[in-house]
Amino acid sequence: MRLTINGREVVTHPAPRETLLDLLRESLGLIGTKRGCDRGECGACTVLLDGAPAYACLALAAGCDGAQVTTIEGIGAASYGGADAGGAPLHPVQDAFLAHDAAQCGFYTPGQVLAAVALFDRTPAPDRAAIVDAMSGNLCRCGTTPRILSALEALSASHGRGPASP
Amino acid sequence: MTDSPRRRFVTTTVEVEGREEQRVVELPAFDVAPWDDDTVLDIVGSRATRVDAREKITGRARYTTDLAPRGVKHAVFVRAEWANGTVTHVEVEAAQAVPGVCAVITRAELAADVEAGLIGGAFATLFDHNVRYAGTPVAVVCADTLAAAQQAAALVQVQGHGRPHVINAAEALAPDAPRVPRTFDEASVSAQNLLGGAPVVLERGDVSHALTRADVRVDVTVHTPAALHSPLEPHGALAEWNGDQLTVWEGTQGLFRVRDNLAAAFRLPLNHVRVRMEHMGGGFGAKNYAGTHTYIAAWLARRLGAPVRCILDRDGTQVDTGHRSATTQVISIAANRDGTLTAIDLTATITMGVSGWLASPGQLYHELYACPNVRTHESFVHVHTGGMQAFRGPGYVEGCVGLELAMDALARALDMDRVALRLANIPQHDQRRERAYSGHRLRECFVEAERRMHQALAHDTSHRAADVAPLAAGTTSRLVRGIGYAAECWSTGGGPPAYATVQLLRDGSVQVLAGTQDLGTGARTILAQIAAQTLGARLECVRCVIGDTERTPYTGNSWGSMTTPSVGPAVRLAAEDVRRQLCDAAAGLLNTTPDELTIHDSVVHHAASGQSRDFTEIGRALGNIVLTGHGSRGPNPDDTTIVTVGVQAAEVEVDRGTGIVRVLRLIAVHDAGRIINPTLAEAQMEGGMLQGLGYALFEERRVDATLGVSLATGLHDYKMPTAADCPDMRVYFLDAADAAANSIGARGIAEPAIIPTAPAIANAVAHALGVPVYALPLTPWRVLEAIAKA
Repeated sequence: MRLTINGREVVTHPAPRETLLDLLRESLGLIGTKRGCDRGECGACTVLLDGAPAYACLALAAGCDGAQVTTIEGIGAASYGGADAGGAPLHPVQDAFLAHDAAQCGFYTPGQVLAAVALFDRTPAPDRAAIVDAMSGNLCRCGTTPRILSALEALSASHGRGPASP
Repeated sequence: MTDSPRRRFVTTTVEVEGREEQRVVELPAFDVAPWDDDTVLDIVGSRATRVDAREKITGRARYTTDLAPRGVKHAVFVRAEWANGTVTHVEVEAAQAVPGVCAVITRAELAADVEAGLIGGAFATLFDHNVRYAGTPVAVVCADTLAAAQQAAALVQVQGHGRPHVINAAEALAPDAPRVPRTFDEASVSAQNLLGGAPVVLERGDVSHALTRADVRVDVTVHTPAALHSPLEPHGALAEWNGDQLTVWEGTQGLFRVRDNLAAAFRLPLNHVRVRMEHMGGGFGAKNYAGTHTYIAAWLARRLGAPVRCILDRDGTQVDTGHRSATTQVISIAANRDGTLTAIDLTATITMGVSGWLASPGQLYHELYACPNVRTHESFVHVHTGGMQAFRGPGYVEGCVGLELAMDALARALDMDRVALRLANIPQHDQRRERAYSGHRLRECFVEAERRMHQALAHDTSHRAADVAPLAAGTTSRLVRGIGYAAECWSTGGGPPAYATVQLLRDGSVQVLAGTQDLGTGARTILAQIAAQTLGARLECVRCVIGDTERTPYTGNSWGSMTTPSVGPAVRLAAEDVRRQLCDAAAGLLNTTPDELTIHDSVVHHAASGQSRDFTEIGRALGNIVLTGHGSRGPNPDDTTIVTVGVQAAEVEVDRGTGIVRVLRLIAVHDAGRIINPTLAEAQMEGGMLQGLGYALFEERRVDATLGVSLATGLHDYKMPTAADCPDMRVYFLDAADAAANSIGARGIAEPAIIPTAPAIANAVAHALGVPVYALPLTPWRVLEAIAKA
């Protein structure tokens, strides 16, 4: 089967029970996608599957034939070709996280960023209720949640005032 | 010896997680004047960006569970499901036949190594056939892939039989109760499953007498739940041997402790064990030691001659890595008519699990409010569940619920304002240890928290002030709102030993080496700020290297809110050592004397001549001479208690139809000495408060009484707060240096953050309903029950 991961075509022969998370982490070394519970409870493995947020631990790899998958490695600086040179551009969601110190341990952060990217792709200027709804599938035990919400509200406000989202 | 230098080693008292220990400490080679409120600081105290934020938001930050070197094998545990039972046989044949399986290991293989003297320490009881809690690991499967290991582990059959078990304290204390502790622990435990063989009783004054003479007396019984740390990164280790040298990557709060644990277990010298970590996905007290996964990964790696990774699955993390103990607190509290406390009496039962330590809810009762007569009577009870582990503010979180709910009950009985009652009982000194506080502005915290809450309510357009506690006004509204307050105190002085090394490299970059760990707290950032401030370097030129027992000097566990006050002063001294050497070196280049020089922004200035040299110019002149400074943490001041105090206020809305509680607002005001980085401090506070909100409303590890198994094996059965539960949160610090505490004037904040949150919320719920709920979590069922009884 073939699927596209972060813009690159990948040819693979997944085992019947292999999840998309297994494929990303164990076979392809894309470790930015985290394994927190392995059963759709925590959201640390959130990726974009054909543009929509999805828990990679609940998606069978074999079911992703032909799919477009975006992981944290395909967002912002890293998508410009690997190593982040420090000044490389970030996705606006990442910029907002950075400005609001919206990561403590950071383990959950890639999943949070992907969930937020999916939201802003659908709705460039979501209101607080939409942000809360979109982010409620991603747990954060450090309790960085208020900062994530502030970051995304600020991003939304900047979109509401300025030009449409990129 | 008449000309001997200053005495280098002295004995001092160190407090860790509420426990005091006497330790010998080393005096630093030189002293510096503490940074007090008059010291001008521009980097310390600034809102510098978290140094590893970019790594984290781009997914490049590497965690232990991400590491997979070539040829790595994967280990998966097999667990017994009896709460109390005996394994007679572990059938491994089917598992061994799974393709890719390299080893299936049971007690027999470990016991052979123990008998041969190859291993010891924790291995004495690993995979023991005497099973004392459901979820005890009894075997491990190791395979080329995680999938093969999981598949094979499911095929292992654990044979044996269960016995009657006890999972609550009342059952465990019955005369004919099954014994929980192991036989070899027998000497320290009574037949009644009581830790230490007897309750722990501490009394000052005469409580019985004071209770009988009181103007007003209130009796309440408060229940708090067992809570699970639930870090999102599961516990895990990656082990690799090179000859007789062991390297282990572990997500841990204590790299050096894990090193010591492994050296003891494998009978290795300390210099043969290296423990490493870059980032970790949360700990909260559950990752303070080497775990079964650590020992087994290292043992398998040696046997197989390959790197082995052992990462717990979610079930394993939820059932086998500790918990905050459930408590029942029976409280009598008495006061004079004017609100002056006259007596506090606590009888507490703490349901620990198979193992644990004296994480006392009672200590707070002796400290938080001024009271001449206080008695605490605490029974720490062994039951057939996993062992207790320190969980953020152990004991104090539980105790604060009991005491602060009792204080509100007393205020109602006195018909007195709740904050006024507390302000009438602010302690003037540490009553428990009979000595002074280095700083203790609890009164200001109350005044400020109340002011901030009133201000917030006045500006909140979603309701009028009259809506608060509407039951008092006889409302029939279904949604009611209330506000509540609670305070905390927690020892946050930190202490020795902690070491740091600072190096100025030839290109002007600065390296800070400290053997600590960053749990997400921002330790890397604040230590870099302290080094940059001291040395006069630009912050972006300073890199903090932590997380490696071979590269960095010793510091202790990141627990007890002590990393900043312990390691920070050591970093300051190390950087000061470099600063002095740098001035010495620069003086030659500028034809002056070292004391004529000042350093700022990585440039050495000589004011008299107007000349300057930046760090790169000096580095070029020095070549490969590395200016290296060493710093150590000196002892704490004698006869002084160092605490962080604070007050939190909550506003809640309760639906009287459904019993659902929503927290609308949390306000925190704490006195934590100097704040090194307000942004990071606020983030950590908010995190603790959100955990406290979960403890107040949702979190409870329940155990099935019949089977003795945990019903909270996942993150759906153990509900933590999400974005939808997140209230408006505001954090304020009475930011002022505690120059008596240590040379940087800072105290810890990690645990103070969570201690008062749940009782503030519970008091707000009582305020809204006009009736208290005395059991956490405040589930809809409990709230409706309380309303029905009212």
